[in-house]
Amino acid sequence: MNANIYKHEFRMRLNSVIIWSIALIAITLVFFSIYPSFADQATLLNETMSKFPPALLAAFGMTSVDLSTTIGFYSFIFLFAQVCLAIQAGNYGFGLVSIEESELTADFLISKPVSRAQILNSKILAAFTSLTITNLVVWVSSFTGVMLFGGGREFDSKTMILLLLSIVIFQVFFLSVGLVVSLLVKRIRSVTPYALGLGFGMYVLSAFSSLEGVSKLEFITAFKHFDPNYIILHGAYDTPLVLLNVAISVVSLVASYWLYTHRDIPAVV
Amino acid sequence: MKIFLRELRANLKSLVIWSVIMALLILVGVTKFSAYFNNPELLKILDSLPAAMIDAMNLRAFNLTTLSGFYGIMFVYFALLGAIAAAMWGSDIISKEERDKTVEFSLVLPVTRSRVVTAKALAALVNCIVFMLVTAVVSIGVAQKYNPDQAFYNYLVLEMEAMVVIELIFLAIGLLLGCTMKQYKRSGAVAISIILVAYFLSIITGLKQNLDFLKYFTPFKYFDAGVLYRTGQMSGIFLLISAAIIVVSLTAAYLTYNKRDLYI
Repeated sequence: MNANIYKHEFRMRLNSVIIWSIALIAITLVFFSIYPSFADQATLLNETMSKFPPALLAAFGMTSVDLSTTIGFYSFIFLFAQVCLAIQAGNYGFGLVSIEESELTADFLISKPVSRAQILNSKILAAFTSLTITNLVVWVSSFTGVMLFGGGREFDSKTMILLLLSIVIFQVFFLSVGLVVSLLVKRIRSVTPYALGLGFGMYVLSAFSSLEGVSKLEFITAFKHFDPNYIILHGAYDTPLVLLNVAISVVSLVASYWLYTHRDIPAVV
Repeated sequence: MKIFLRELRANLKSLVIWSVIMALLILVGVTKFSAYFNNPELLKILDSLPAAMIDAMNLRAFNLTTLSGFYGIMFVYFALLGAIAAAMWGSDIISKEERDKTVEFSLVLPVTRSRVVTAKALAALVNCIVFMLVTAVVSIGVAQKYNPDQAFYNYLVLEMEAMVVIELIFLAIGLLLGCTMKQYKRSGAVAISIILVAYFLSIITGLKQNLDFLKYFTPFKYFDAGVLYRTGQMSGIFLLISAAIIVVSLTAAYLTYNKRDLYI
């Protein structure tokens, strides 16, 4: 690791981290502020729903989670936070080394007396630090939301911690997949479309996960690996899928190191 | 014309990637749907429910035992993907010249700046329309297994029209961002935040009755699949709002781009 590169990378990303963090705080608190009045409605709704045949509810994905409970409502917020976190992590991943190339600063960096592996180490660690700050912000704002708007309802803090703990693996997934894709293609002109495509693409692919029936295609999306519904209903992770997720991240990271150390870096002529 | 063709070619890859994502989405959806289609148990339950309750829960529009119901649910995602793709194409097609330091070159060509913007906007428009056509073709393709009737085709056509309108709104906003943002890097970031905020609003609108007024601020709510199904047409007032957003954004885009200092 090289402290200079690390510091530079971190400082470059600071603005973006602050903006994402503010956005996530806003999302969590705004959603939570609706909860108290929503919970009353939802309790009524639940009473009506309990009269429905369970088969119907299951068929339309309505058994998933009980939105009148704090944790059920939180799962809803959490999914949205996941979308933001995915885009943010994807953004950092895709831009990690490709921005240097598109802005023609890569040859300057490479000519420094540090190995490429070291460069990548420092960059990944800096991006990871940035993501972790956002992660912590989500932790704090989630608990604040519960305290402010939970209204003393019963609340399953263990499951919430389980959900929040999944963020770090989730972020690493998008960071490393973004990184490896950016190294696999010849050059990335603009980072945003890739990050949005990856983040939202995976999000919509998992959109139907609450419905019955299994589609193998779903297993490629990280949103399915950390489906908040599943975690809340079972009080645990879907272990095989989480392992699959970690495996993809590890393979991507290893491949990234190999690709980056062997990469042809275009220089200013 | 040359600029137009060049832009089409340059955007081809992106179009292909988005089309693949869309096709994957439809395939995932249809795999799930196969468990519901004409499922006798579900039909029995639906028959036993009182009509008022079915209306209250919007089960007619989103009745998963029928093809139209399935595509009613899919529409939200068509709109979402269409909007993101269009906003990206719109902002990128203008701002990339500054990013790639080719803007001087394209502006010393013997064409006015307005012509450049027009050619680029048209290329992005063609992309949006092709993207919609891909969605329609894949949808019709996977629907063949379920013997679609005429009503389904009419509904799908309506959905595709609504999708194009949403694409146009975001395309216009994207072009505006590309034309006005002094820093090329910022146009993508602002586009992300607009999309996320709009999507966020569209979710929150549905949660509470008294937040209903928010629907005017998010294009994702302009054309609700349930309403499209019931009325068989796009709501006039929202078409007007859409047209207004598009016209204002495009006018502002042309005006600023013609006068603006370019980043070289």
